[in-house]
Amino acid sequence: MSATTYRARVPALLSAFTLLLLATPFVGLAVVTHWRSFGFAEGDGGAIAVSLGYSMLALVLIIALGTPLAWWLARYSIRGKWLIDSLLLLALLTPPLAMGLLLASMYGPYGPAGSMLEHAGLVLTNSAPAFVMAQFYAALPYYVIAARAAFEGVPRELEQIALTLGHSPWRSFVHVSLPLARLGLAAAIALAWVRALGEFGVVLIVAYYPQGIPVKLWVNLQNIGLDAVYPLLWVFFLVAMPLPLILGLSARRRHLI
Amino acid sequence: MRIDYAIRHPITLEAQFEVEGFTVLLGASGEGKSLLLRAIAGLVAARGEPFGGMAAQDRAVGYLPQGYALFPHLNAWQNVAFALKGPQRRDQAMSLLERVHMADFAERFPATLSGGQQQRVALARALARKPQLLLLDEPTSALDPVTRDDVIAELITEVHDFGIPALAVSHDPHLAAVADRLVLMHGRRIIQIGTSETVYGNPTSGAAARLLGYRNVHRGYVEGTTSAPRLAWPDGGVSFPIDDQAVIGTYVDWMIDPAAICLIDAHDALPNAIPASVEVRHVDRRITQLGLRCGQGRLWVAIPDGMQVPKSPAVHLPPRAIRCWAHDPSRHPSETPLLPGEKLPIR
Repeated sequence: MSATTYRARVPALLSAFTLLLLATPFVGLAVVTHWRSFGFAEGDGGAIAVSLGYSMLALVLIIALGTPLAWWLARYSIRGKWLIDSLLLLALLTPPLAMGLLLASMYGPYGPAGSMLEHAGLVLTNSAPAFVMAQFYAALPYYVIAARAAFEGVPRELEQIALTLGHSPWRSFVHVSLPLARLGLAAAIALAWVRALGEFGVVLIVAYYPQGIPVKLWVNLQNIGLDAVYPLLWVFFLVAMPLPLILGLSARRRHLI
Repeated sequence: MRIDYAIRHPITLEAQFEVEGFTVLLGASGEGKSLLLRAIAGLVAARGEPFGGMAAQDRAVGYLPQGYALFPHLNAWQNVAFALKGPQRRDQAMSLLERVHMADFAERFPATLSGGQQQRVALARALARKPQLLLLDEPTSALDPVTRDDVIAELITEVHDFGIPALAVSHDPHLAAVADRLVLMHGRRIIQIGTSETVYGNPTSGAAARLLGYRNVHRGYVEGTTSAPRLAWPDGGVSFPIDDQAVIGTYVDWMIDPAAICLIDAHDALPNAIPASVEVRHVDRRITQLGLRCGQGRLWVAIPDGMQVPKSPAVHLPPRAIRCWAHDPSRHPSETPLLPGEKLPIR
């Protein structure tokens, strides 16, 4: 083997080893699943509907509120920006269980925000809004950080050129910033989606009900055993995968928008 | 069109001049030329006319930044159509591309076009805006030196065809040489304005001559007597007689045409001969110039075809060929050659 071939094979072998490590649990899942008695526990269908529906809603809210923040952070230099960076990091660092407790103490029935909102008819404990809120808090910082990096990669000059060609700042954002940041934004959306859909800790504290897939996996494990976990996990992969996969593929084409 | 702009931040800059036909604002890097263009385009806070106080999107300017800034996610016709509205935008974009001879490249993306082709697409895109003024930032900087002159010629023809006044900022004397009107900027001020012929024929200062690409522009000090003035050249470590009516005891910028310098043999021991050594030989088509080291300074000398360079070369500077300009240290303090009272290192 020549030195060049050898050098080219080393990264390939290392990559193969890493991929093997990554694949091991899923190979294990395929092996341990009882395919002959593959069946679902009661309430699994509802958990899938809850997870998909509310995660989608949470994702819409995250994109709607997170995108302007990400763009603003990418484009404007303001004093005390480190404070905003620290806040984002704080939200990322907080262990999910702790975040759930913090949300419960703030938005729970005895929390300052929670009691006020309850008077207005919005219950943020063990309710659909609570479920969406939990996912929102769990995934928002990931989305903002990734989307900010995506916008920072767009040459500012191109946005300014759009202005000199008679476009308003909003049209410049839609027709230049968004398409040029599309790869990073697609990654940010995919990241927010998997974080929201897979969130367990925060949801467990503030929205045990309505049960989404992660909580239902826990319930199935407690009440029935491992055999009731694997089928739901397979469905989880099946429903969670298409959105990030399609986003990744379509963003690599020239025209997304 | 009269430009009258004042910028306060990030640098202080004021500029007033007329733009007629293809006007080039020539200045060294760091003078704030690009900043001025961006101010006129409304991308930098500034006061002035035309377009004063208007938002960037409301200013009828066609702005071509350095590198042209074509949208990488759009092909050539989509780039041009970016400034257009309505169902006819594709046809209008195609007709603009035809005018700049780029219709055959309409479906190509910017990354697959050469510098000159990108410039023409950017020009068509800027013209689609129906501008009253074209702003070109260093239009020759991204061009291949081999095709540059042709691209410049085409650019100027197109600008003339469209009949829109154009202001190009550049540090490239090649571009300045083909301008209808030339504005020289130095020390963040306008130092000379005129047609290319008048400005090139009569630069009014050493700074202007340097900007225009003249070789052999140096600083010196006038000494001697009014009847026999001599020019001390600190970099060369020599002094030599001059005819120019420079004031004794003043700092000057001086210049001599490379073709006017006589290359001689140091052994001939002519008075006022300056010993030199050959540093570089520059052959440009039929003209050969030698870069000669004289002390710490360098003189360029044009030599006739086939001339043998003496083994111990020296140069003689004919007094009549030396041109001096008073050097104004109050205007450009950083360029004062020596501190007051400092001794000139003359042999």
